[in-house]
Amino acid sequence: MKTETLWAFWKRPATYRVTLPKLMAVAYVLLAILASVIAPQNPYDPLQIFAWEASSPPGTVSGGGYLYLLGTDGLGRDILSTVFYGLRISLFVAVTSTVLAALIGMSLGVIAAYLGRWADALIMRIVDLQLSLPTMLVALIAIVTLGPGVDRIILALVIVQWAAYARVTRGVAMSEASKAYLDAARLLRLPPWRIIFRHLLPNSIAPAITLIPIELGHAVALEATLSFLGLGVPIDKPSLGSAVANGFQYLMTGQYWISLFPGLALFGLIASINFVGEDVRRRFDPRSL
Amino acid sequence: MTTTIIGRLSQAFLLLLAMSIIGFAGIHSVGNPVFNIVNVETATPEDIRRATIALGLDQPLWQQYFLFLGNVVSGNFGTSYIYHLPAFRLVMSKLPATFELAAIAMLIAAPSGVLLGLLAGRRKDTLLDRTILNSSVFALSVPSFWLSMLLIMVGAVMTGWFPSGGRGETVALFGVTWSFLTASGLAHLALPALALAIPNIALIARLTRSGTVEVEAQDFTRFCQAKGLSPRRILFRHTLPNISVPIVTIIGMQFGGMLAFAVVVESIFNWPGIGKLLIDSIQLLDRPVVMATLTFVAVAFVGLNALVDIFYAVLDPRTRRSA
Repeated sequence: MKTETLWAFWKRPATYRVTLPKLMAVAYVLLAILASVIAPQNPYDPLQIFAWEASSPPGTVSGGGYLYLLGTDGLGRDILSTVFYGLRISLFVAVTSTVLAALIGMSLGVIAAYLGRWADALIMRIVDLQLSLPTMLVALIAIVTLGPGVDRIILALVIVQWAAYARVTRGVAMSEASKAYLDAARLLRLPPWRIIFRHLLPNSIAPAITLIPIELGHAVALEATLSFLGLGVPIDKPSLGSAVANGFQYLMTGQYWISLFPGLALFGLIASINFVGEDVRRRFDPRSL
Repeated sequence: MTTTIIGRLSQAFLLLLAMSIIGFAGIHSVGNPVFNIVNVETATPEDIRRATIALGLDQPLWQQYFLFLGNVVSGNFGTSYIYHLPAFRLVMSKLPATFELAAIAMLIAAPSGVLLGLLAGRRKDTLLDRTILNSSVFALSVPSFWLSMLLIMVGAVMTGWFPSGGRGETVALFGVTWSFLTASGLAHLALPALALAIPNIALIARLTRSGTVEVEAQDFTRFCQAKGLSPRRILFRHTLPNISVPIVTIIGMQFGGMLAFAVVVESIFNWPGIGKLLIDSIQLLDRPVVMATLTFVAVAFVGLNALVDIFYAVLDPRTRRSA
């Protein structure tokens, strides 16, 4: 992989192309932030929900006067509003865990490369072992150990993801560590933490940053899967995954809209993130998949 | 070579040991399984005490762990709290169903993925190539649970072509029951196998495509063309063997991954394999079965990867010489 400092990446002339996936990704973020403003109904507020309008097909007009554009679920919640609010939780969990995992993974990668010896051996063995298992298995073990809850699922996703960043960052940091500017920093008797985080880290993380969009897509999918299995976010504040799960039991009776639309939103979200990630990866490393 | 194998094995062993400790401590902190066994409303403190002793939960945690570890080494994970059967035997009894599902899915995914990848790589940068590449991103973006539900919606609810769940009729062979030997079993297999196969088709196709593009640019391919070999012969006799190592790697890894990912597909299609057993056991706090299943999947995956490594030597003489 081409190594490039973060600074050079930042200064590179902008060759920015607006593409559909990028627009979609931005739209998703806006929808998630503005969920409470644009959603016709607050699906967490029992006073706004009419139980007798449960399982209305798309296009039904509510007794409250507004239109159930995508229908309602088995509890009478407007699907469109559930999708907006669910999007908010899905994105919050995925973005938080990805950022935390990136920070932790990059830091540990640099620390392993700089300290070497037992610290390197310890960190990299954990990385190797973890990356040799399927992510779903690691996630399941983590969530079984941690139990359910939004904070737990974020922690579980961090545990799943940090290793990839650590491995990539360590590789770059190893070659950076032998360069003259680090010898200079050492000769200045700078404290190790300062050398690691002020000098080595900024010069070693560019390749790992290209992982972020891909890992973000994985995080969204993994959270949705765990929530679907009932091991993720609590059911009273559904993410997109649990919204799909809510509709599963109604699928057999032909009430397709309860699970179809949240699933479609989820699919669009993951696909747009993946297309952006593909674009980023291709720009940095034309040889990769 | 021997030292690397021993090193790899001891590493794997340490991993499994660490996982067993973390998993054991974690599952103990989740909840007390006694309350799932006794009737909470009517049980007296005496009942609860008796159930606790019967499950061995009155002993200190570390003692429970070492008891557990000693048993694991002898293949004994304890008795299921729910089914009252040895946990490991329970997992083994569910294994054929999962294995069959994963095998059929891979039989669909590997040939079609390789074929699509060769096709796309051969016609690099054409409309066909871009279509295959873009649809592969879509296929990899579909969450497997939603894909499964779509398949049920289209294949079972709307058209009624396939059953929506269960294993159908099974036939015993070598003392195990299999679905793929009966027509009804095959019909039940179709949708879940497809759900597992689709993301893998995309993954294998992408890998094959990038390998094909790389190999086709090399001199020997041009030499084969100059020799007058037919494009098909070049593709299958010269290009394909040269890209087989990464393809076999991904097939091996994905097969192990399917054992783990089958959790989702099996729950949705009500397929009585180890994935469904795992989810049910997590929800019922059936500790021995959860531990037995997770341990089994981890060991199977690590073992499968080691097999793939050995298989390299068969496929690629270069790795044999360097080893």
